[in-house]
Amino acid sequence: MSAATLASTPDELPSVPWLIAGLALLAVVIVTLAVRPGLFISNLVGGLVYGMILMMIALGLSLILGLLGVVNFAHGALFMIGAYGAYQVVALFELPFWVALIAVPIGVGLIGVLMEVTVLRRLYGEDPLIGLLATFGIELMLEEATRAQWGGTPLSFDPPAVLRASVQVGFLEIATTRLFTAAVGAVVVVGLFLLMYRTDFGLSIRAGLQDQQMAEFLGIDIPKRFTIVFFLGTAIAGLSGVLRGAEVGMDLGMGMDFVILAFVVIVVGGLGSIFGSVVSALLIGVAVFVTPVMLRAVTTVTGLEWLYVSGIGGLMPFLVMIGVLLVRPRGLFGEEGLLE
Amino acid sequence: MSDASEPAAAGRDRLRNALSRYRVPIGILLLVVLLRPVIAHDALLGSSYIASAMLIWMLFAAAFNLLYGYSGLLSFGHAIFLGTGIYGVAIGIRHFDLPYFVAAPIGVIVAGLIAYGIARLIVGYGEIYFAMLTLAFAEAIHFVVNADPFGLTGGADGLRSDTTPAWIESFRGRSVVQLGGGEFELYYFVALVFVIAMLALWQIVRSPFGRTLVAIRDNEELARAMGISTARYQTWAFTLSGVFSAVAGTLLVIRNSGASLENFGMMTGAEVILMSIFGGISYFFGPIAGAFSWFFAREYLTNLEMVAIPLVGTVDVGPILGYWRFFFGFLFVVVIVLSPQRGLWGFVRSIADRIRDRLAEVISE
Repeated sequence: MSAATLASTPDELPSVPWLIAGLALLAVVIVTLAVRPGLFISNLVGGLVYGMILMMIALGLSLILGLLGVVNFAHGALFMIGAYGAYQVVALFELPFWVALIAVPIGVGLIGVLMEVTVLRRLYGEDPLIGLLATFGIELMLEEATRAQWGGTPLSFDPPAVLRASVQVGFLEIATTRLFTAAVGAVVVVGLFLLMYRTDFGLSIRAGLQDQQMAEFLGIDIPKRFTIVFFLGTAIAGLSGVLRGAEVGMDLGMGMDFVILAFVVIVVGGLGSIFGSVVSALLIGVAVFVTPVMLRAVTTVTGLEWLYVSGIGGLMPFLVMIGVLLVRPRGLFGEEGLLE
Repeated sequence: MSDASEPAAAGRDRLRNALSRYRVPIGILLLVVLLRPVIAHDALLGSSYIASAMLIWMLFAAAFNLLYGYSGLLSFGHAIFLGTGIYGVAIGIRHFDLPYFVAAPIGVIVAGLIAYGIARLIVGYGEIYFAMLTLAFAEAIHFVVNADPFGLTGGADGLRSDTTPAWIESFRGRSVVQLGGGEFELYYFVALVFVIAMLALWQIVRSPFGRTLVAIRDNEELARAMGISTARYQTWAFTLSGVFSAVAGTLLVIRNSGASLENFGMMTGAEVILMSIFGGISYFFGPIAGAFSWFFAREYLTNLEMVAIPLVGTVDVGPILGYWRFFFGFLFVVVIVLSPQRGLWGFVRSIADRIRDRLAEVISE
């Protein structure tokens, strides 16, 4: 692993095609800015916020994947339960949103701990596919339980008055929910980074990541660390669920959608890199929101109607992923050899 | 011991050898012959309505298992290939007026090409990556089909009309095939294709190709060290698995009389995984048993609901059974934790082995 990081300087890329691609992208951005500046900027902000949500889910997922070697498929369901839990607290219990913001992630984290203790603990060291399939079964159970508890129709709740307002930034109005989501996302990233790289706890986790047996010889209680990490990862999923629920509401499909997207983010960013996950989540979020606007602007300028593909936004994460895999299989900032 | 009994004993041995050697084809034929009368028995479902759907899904699960059980590669995206088979036929008949026997091979070939392309792109990654990447491709293709490109796929509505071949006569949910002057039930057409495809799968599994796949599954590094191009074998396993899934799709489009978007959906790919693992991926017949029990349980439970409510009145099983996925998910997690390889068919086999040992004991005494 350590040797691979040294050799992570970018390979010699064919520069002319890249230059052309970059210039073309720049030209499209300029055209879009000229045709629809307002829409472009507001979609850019929307994309960044969406990317923040993706980033938080992906961080939890990759934290668990890195340490425990399990792709927690149920991560999406926990994210969804976070959103529904916020609905329960705010709309049904009529408690303030801030209570949901604290209590729901803790509750979701406890569900995660329950999962880890009852099921996943038996599967460490087995074929990683077994863990994937087991959490997939749990995802189905949690989804069905959510349907039983809150029904199949999409729901939403009113965020507090502070978050319903919007702020004037230049000529642009930005909803405060979006700013708030972005701020919380930033706090989570920085907090996670400090925890992993600036505390003894993070040091012991990274030791376990590198050599679990040796770490246990040195007296680190690895199973307990695993449970704590699982709690952290799933609580972050719950937190992002609360934020997503406040911004756009909730439905039964969101869990599956987001866990797939989060994995795409991890693949694009490169496994084992917090920084890579952050960059790729923001990149994908922006791509989802901005591409339709850019294509629309290009069609209005050139008059070529076939250039506009409806629904291209939702397809962008997968196109970005396929592109990155073709050019740089280990992801943008990934380390070589992890889970390969 | 007289001279005359020795050839007889040798003949018996040869018969026994042949029986055990060809037990898979014999089993497939027995399955096709017995499935309809057995599930139509009053004590079971009382109707053979779902028999052809069962056969089709058995084929789909067996095709899936060529990949997961024999090659060790998990695909969440097999709905792509089933769906391509379905939509290939539906689009061919509806938009291009192609005969079924032209549209179906085209659908299968397109599915094979898609499978090959995807496999070439992702087969070198680790198992987990592979599984999640198939999922991402499934999502992407679901997206494309939903967007209704060039008005071909009908978007979220699917293709519901003008998709049945001319030689199918549907009447009150019963489909009759009229081919070559004869007339027979759709089931027998499905059964014919099923038997051919299953025999082909069986041949693949026991061929040197299939043995190599198993070797790669069991120890990829060793296989590579022995000079096997693992990526190439896995690519072809994925492609073949996709092709056979598409064959199942070309049958399912007749059975369902049309294509719907959920054929491409996440749950279609998930169901085939659940069925196969539940049935037992270590055995050729495991996924088949899984598909059977899945359909049987679902049909039986819905029947139960319809009977129980008027008779019992107060005990309303409907709402609980409506969440059957929860219980199935639970059962699935239990199977995964306790015995991820052997599943239901392994359980059946161990019981059969025990009975046989017991019988052998009794006879020898």
